[in-house]
Amino acid sequence: MTPILLRIMLVVGLALVVSVIVLTRRAWLPGIGHGLPSIWRIAKITVAEARRRRVLQAVIALVILILLSMTAFSYLSPQEQAKMVIDGGLAAITVFGILLAIFVAAFLIPNEVENRTVYAILAKPVRRSEFVLGKYLGALIVLAAMVAVMTVVLVGVLVTLDHLIKDQAGSSFNPNLAAVVLAAVMSYCSLAVLTALIVLISTVSSTTMTVIAALIIWAVGSLQSQIYVLAESNGGAAKLFLLVLYYLVPHLENFDYRFQAANFVAISVPSAIGAVIVGIGYTLVVLVVASIFFSDRQV
Amino acid sequence: MAMLSRRARNGLGALFCLGVLLALVPVQESIYRARPELLERARSRRQHAASMIGMGPTPAVIAALGGFRSVAADLLWLKADQVWHGGSWWAMLPLLEGVVELDPSFELAWKVYGWHCAYNLNAESKTDIDRNYWLQKGIEILERAGETNPKSWEMKWELAWTYYDRSHELPRAAEAFYEASRLPGAESYVSRFYYRSYENILDHDGIMRALAYARTQHPKDTKHQFLVTRDTNYWKWAWNDPREHRRIIVKENTARYQRAVPPYLYPNDPFWDVCPVCGMPVEKGKNAVCENLSCPNYKHPIHPQTATISASP
Repeated sequence: MTPILLRIMLVVGLALVVSVIVLTRRAWLPGIGHGLPSIWRIAKITVAEARRRRVLQAVIALVILILLSMTAFSYLSPQEQAKMVIDGGLAAITVFGILLAIFVAAFLIPNEVENRTVYAILAKPVRRSEFVLGKYLGALIVLAAMVAVMTVVLVGVLVTLDHLIKDQAGSSFNPNLAAVVLAAVMSYCSLAVLTALIVLISTVSSTTMTVIAALIIWAVGSLQSQIYVLAESNGGAAKLFLLVLYYLVPHLENFDYRFQAANFVAISVPSAIGAVIVGIGYTLVVLVVASIFFSDRQV
Repeated sequence: MAMLSRRARNGLGALFCLGVLLALVPVQESIYRARPELLERARSRRQHAASMIGMGPTPAVIAALGGFRSVAADLLWLKADQVWHGGSWWAMLPLLEGVVELDPSFELAWKVYGWHCAYNLNAESKTDIDRNYWLQKGIEILERAGETNPKSWEMKWELAWTYYDRSHELPRAAEAFYEASRLPGAESYVSRFYYRSYENILDHDGIMRALAYARTQHPKDTKHQFLVTRDTNYWKWAWNDPREHRRIIVKENTARYQRAVPPYLYPNDPFWDVCPVCGMPVEKGKNAVCENLSCPNYKHPIHPQTATISASP
């Protein structure tokens, strides 16, 4: 795309967003003072529910075991060991993060509807959009705690190995801890986007469908650059389909900094900030759509 | 949005979403500009798709792995390590190809892959054609490594070292050392190898140019500055000394002989002619003959054409 077209898109997009916010201010401004406490209360309940689930504790225990087992590559050179531990650790955080996101988010709204507890909540002065946002915020807090625990264990393993492993000529165990933590934070951001999508799907479909759709979205989202390149080299209906896929599915690749952390390559901070901006924008869109869908849903 | 009708709410919601998505497109483009490796990797994967079939993982496998290519690369690397220790050198190739396709930033894998072809498989080959094939394959791999990791001085260094030490393409080695020395983080010895390459072919202009360049690099590194000054002084004296020229010619052509590379003939050397068969120097002259006892060209003229003309009545 040409730079002029990109600028026009930016201006038109921002103009549309500002216009809608200004036009609807009377509808949403009075609700803020009342809405935020409601969202926070629902989030707290969601966190309390998640804490009662044994599966989350089991997953965390499993991840810690996997991270501790990373110390078993002692036959490799220090540099190779550092790469293996960082790669394996960050992959474990991502894989189990995705599983946790699916387990936490896919059951949030369907369970409330199936158990009919949603009636008790919606009978109170709580808007449906506040209910959706509260549930999402609760899921985010649970995931943040889980990712934080896993990251702390990984950093602990790296620091311990750094002390235990002796450097060899031309090969040293010298992990860039800041890059590892940044990669874990970006991994959490990708989980936040995925969780928003899971919440959206769960407002209109069953739990099983939500889980399947979440896995497909994660796979497609991780391959967005491939889709972009495929769209460049195709034409007609195929190109249109690929472009729709490219613009609708979140760019989870943007958040993938594991390559850089494991290979000791410098991380571009502007690209990380850009990824976070895209993630926040995309999540906002998904949550607006989820709120509209859930408001229209007959429960 | 309780005060709005359902249709108005949905319409405004759609407009809001459209606005946000439109505004995100330029941000996404800027991410691709800041991280060109994302698209380049996808593009090169499409280009190399045909050559990859039968060598490493196919694009479909890479696609299926999604975000976990790096872990898959680590597992293949562990397998390659196991195969190496088992002595199955040839079996390492598809594994290493897989590793570098899955994790193109894995510099150690690129280094080992290129070195394995240019050194081990080259030495293991029985014929000159095979030796040359594996040497060129190793160079090709290291060139790919440099293209894939353009900011890595170590990748350029590996390529330069292979030109310098293995294929003895010294002008090319000098260029590659120069490029490596310009990349961020390059060690001081890289710029010193830039003039070492010219030293071995006795290219006076090249040596002086490279020495002047090396002096501008790492100004605070006293050891580097000392070595460059020492070598500059050495060359001011050694260029006029035939014995030093001879020493370098013997050293370089002996190394070439050991690597089965044809000798370098030093066409512009002011003091020595070089036997095209054994590569040993003989005092310059129209009727110079090889004086190396073990050379098949022993006592035969080094310049056959000139010798024939001068011998004719």
